[in-house]
Amino acid sequence: MLNLSAKILAMGIGLALALSAAQAQVKGDATKAKALVDTVCIACHGADGNGPVPMFPRLAGQSAEYLLKQMQDFKNNKRPGEIMAPNVANLSADDMANLALFFAGQKAVPAPVGDPTLVTRGKKLFDDGNAASGVPACSGCHGANGEGSSLYPRVAAQHVEYTIDQIKQFASGKRKNDKRLMQAVATRMSEDETRAVAQYLASLP
Amino acid sequence: MKFIAVIPILFALGSLPAWADALQQPRAPGIESKGYVWNKPNKEQIFALKHKADPVKGKAAYRVCQGCHKPDASGRGDADYPQLAGQHTTVLIKQLVDVRAGKRDNPKMHPFVGEWAVTTEEISDIAAYLNSLPIPTTNSKGDGKHLDRGFAVYEKSCADCHGDAGEGYGDKFYPMVASQHYAYLLYESLQIREGTRRNANPKMVRIIKKYSDEDLQAVADYMSRLPPPVGKLAPATVADPGKK
Repeated sequence: MLNLSAKILAMGIGLALALSAAQAQVKGDATKAKALVDTVCIACHGADGNGPVPMFPRLAGQSAEYLLKQMQDFKNNKRPGEIMAPNVANLSADDMANLALFFAGQKAVPAPVGDPTLVTRGKKLFDDGNAASGVPACSGCHGANGEGSSLYPRVAAQHVEYTIDQIKQFASGKRKNDKRLMQAVATRMSEDETRAVAQYLASLP
Repeated sequence: MKFIAVIPILFALGSLPAWADALQQPRAPGIESKGYVWNKPNKEQIFALKHKADPVKGKAAYRVCQGCHKPDASGRGDADYPQLAGQHTTVLIKQLVDVRAGKRDNPKMHPFVGEWAVTTEEISDIAAYLNSLPIPTTNSKGDGKHLDRGFAVYEKSCADCHGDAGEGYGDKFYPMVASQHYAYLLYESLQIREGTRRNANPKMVRIIKKYSDEDLQAVADYMSRLPPPVGKLAPATVADPGKK
């Protein structure tokens, strides 16, 4: 009895610690990231994180906590990244923190919208979700304008192709570094909903 | 050649079920089981009930809920998402942990209340935050045609536990039913009557068994129209009391 409560207490404390670590502010120096940005990141993500290649995510304005976690996850094989893994392999903890702060400090520019007719439908799903299938409103976690938070990534101004690809990766279980939340959501999203919401996200600043 | 073709199949067979299982709600013993006690808190519930809750932390943790239950915790009248604002903390903790443990079946909600989504402390914090919220009366209502019948059923069979004004009784895990969505009240009443709400109070199952669908529609309509307890009404709805 005592043992069990102690276990639960320890579990609770452990979880709380893990969470506070995830929420801890990223400490570093964005100005020290410039050399790496201009040699390593620029080709795919652009000099200011507003890269032009649809399959590679926009990073500008993304939360530093999220960026740092993704780099760590690529490095530790917790997120599949055939392209990213070799690029982060040689980065130090300081490099990653500096890069995270650099891209977090850049201004996001809306991405190209391929099919404007889908934007309204995408906004509806983003704002309201789909009660029947159990897709929550995306805005619940990602913010009313897709701006994200320290725990949930910014999704506004993202490339259409990248968003679609990630939702599909979550749905198929290929990507699962998300505390299962997006996996659950993605498995409930239809092809049409995925395409529509991706268009809407691209259109957001 | 043959060997190479087999690898992806093995991979799919080996990895996919494990991954899919992780997203499934577990099934804990419920009302169908011997020795079932509906209101006996499990270890986690005891911990959450005793925890010194912080509504500010609860607001932050509620983020993962609001995609469905809405930022003002008003839920959705067009489906079966209950209004949570102003609900008793004890009720919220019990229901959240029951869904988490698989004692109340809700596969739709389960991924968002698993231990990967919220800690036990956060469950307690979320409950305190929701309890502090004013209650909107924009909840869905029934057709209003059988409110006399609804009133009669309520007074006869519901008021003893849920209170004359539908305010519930937190100490006993009896939920507030006033200003709850009609669709949700009806859905849950039917589930309880059919025995598929597996964390129900057996006493309520016995009582509700004798009522027809029409009775339950009428009483759900009646409860949905009961105003929130004094001081719990959302300010935005005070100015518009006639709104249905």
